[in-house]
Amino acid sequence: MTVLAMSPARPTLVRAVCVREWREALGNKLLVGMTLLPPVVILVAGIGAVAAAAVNPPSDRDVQALYASAPAVAGLDPKDAVQGFIATYFLILFMLIPTVVPLTMAIYSVIGEKASRTLEPLLATPVGVGDLLFAKSLASTIPSVIVTWAAYGIYLATVIAIGSHAAVNAVTAPRWILAIIVLVPLLTLLSVNLGILISTRVNDVRVAQQIGGLVVVPVVGLGIAQVTGRVVLDNGAFFEMTIVLIVLDLAVFWLARLAFQRENILVRWR
Amino acid sequence: MKTVIRTEKLTKRFGDLTAVDGIDLDVHEGEVFGFLGPNGAGKTTTLRLLCALIAPSSGTAEIAGFRLGREDAKIRAAVGILTEQPGLYERQSAWDNLVFYATLYGLPPSVAKAQAERYLRMMGLWERRTEAVVTFSRGMKQKMAIARAALHEPRVLFLDEPTTGLDPDAAKTVREFIVALRGAGRTVFLCTHNLDEADRLCDRIAFFRHRVIRIAKPDELRAELYGRATEIRLLPKPRAEDLARVQAVPGVHEAHLENGSIVVASADPLLTNPLLVRALVDGGAEIAFVTERKAHLEDVYLQIVEPIE
Repeated sequence: MTVLAMSPARPTLVRAVCVREWREALGNKLLVGMTLLPPVVILVAGIGAVAAAAVNPPSDRDVQALYASAPAVAGLDPKDAVQGFIATYFLILFMLIPTVVPLTMAIYSVIGEKASRTLEPLLATPVGVGDLLFAKSLASTIPSVIVTWAAYGIYLATVIAIGSHAAVNAVTAPRWILAIIVLVPLLTLLSVNLGILISTRVNDVRVAQQIGGLVVVPVVGLGIAQVTGRVVLDNGAFFEMTIVLIVLDLAVFWLARLAFQRENILVRWR
Repeated sequence: MKTVIRTEKLTKRFGDLTAVDGIDLDVHEGEVFGFLGPNGAGKTTTLRLLCALIAPSSGTAEIAGFRLGREDAKIRAAVGILTEQPGLYERQSAWDNLVFYATLYGLPPSVAKAQAERYLRMMGLWERRTEAVVTFSRGMKQKMAIARAALHEPRVLFLDEPTTGLDPDAAKTVREFIVALRGAGRTVFLCTHNLDEADRLCDRIAFFRHRVIRIAKPDELRAELYGRATEIRLLPKPRAEDLARVQAVPGVHEAHLENGSIVVASADPLLTNPLLVRALVDGGAEIAFVTERKAHLEDVYLQIVEPIE
């Protein structure tokens, strides 16, 4: 029987790799748990905080401190102001999801293949390693982006349903919606490729997660800076963050591509 | 005979270590080519070179008509490799594993499914196709890995220790598969430590330790070591006069007593053996067996490979 093998078309390869990785991920209860836990915690905490602010009036001292640190809500009704402030604060926390969730998936994707010795047969096929890396990146990126968007969608709908006018204004602000649409995929890609890069050097999932976990530091720092009034996240700041993330994404993908070479993987990876 | 693997001075160095040192090979279509050497001899590195998984430090190679280093993707499409470890996606079913790889080899969906079914049936795994590979025995996993290596019908199949750790039944299936591949005109490049298996399956054998030490047919190698010997067992045991009669037969190079038998070396046993039998019977000896004495490939291996460091 004669069958002519050849390099598969890129969309076919991407689809095949994604479906395989998702099947593998769904069969790993720990990974599913680690993927869903951060968005669920942030979502429940966010909704709970906005709801609590609606029923518990803040003290005068808290309100004055809030007016001082967040000029955007100054002059609003205290309950409105606190809800608006909390709603905005949790929007920043939503940016943590694309740094944590895909990192875990990407690390499992590479370290899992190293541990089960599945990389050599995979590399023996006629697919290009760049295409393979791209497919693996997408396999971790797509579910993470969907999870983040879904969590944001639920948060948005709940705040609209139970929140004050200021809270609704905060979560429906065009720059935040745009940030969720644009920054979340960019942050996710950064986290995924960082995870792949780290996984080429270590064999332990926990060590890789600890190293990769450092990616949340700038996001948390940004959140703290905004809460304390040291940074104002206006349109210009979002635009600058977008540019920085695009540059970082390209740089980290390039580094991951350098590490993800057939010979490196087979001979030097341990 | 058409050549499907040709290498010239193919070399691979890792820093100061020369794993593969200037090998010249010509492997033919439809041949089972044995590649024998001790652990750490560079067999796996050679396999990886020939499958375009790693780049040579120097030298050239042409595999299935494609030039190594220039047409690597085409080489990988034209060959299949069974790696030392099965390397299967264990949480997934046998069917999903094979269809996934068929897709990566660029087979259209209908062909991918047909090939997955064909090889699962061939390996006796069709009934368990929906089960996760993690539930399979070592032998079943190895058969799965062989099916994966062959399902795109490669012109050359590289098998690294295909029967290691298998029970006799599974090993037999694998050997029968190799014979069937040869029958279908495919080339099998067989890396093995199992000398008995190499002896039974291979048309030619290369002894290798960083470089090719010797390439020959198994029979030629054995003949070189012991010549063509005949063992004659007499009842109750050979006498001195029996040995003298044998030594006097024309064509006999050498004869000696060994464990109750007379071992005779001659240039052409087909001519000499009837004369030997007649001489012994005429002398009143009682013959129990006359057998061809074959050297084991292991003896040849130990003589040729072991002394080389």
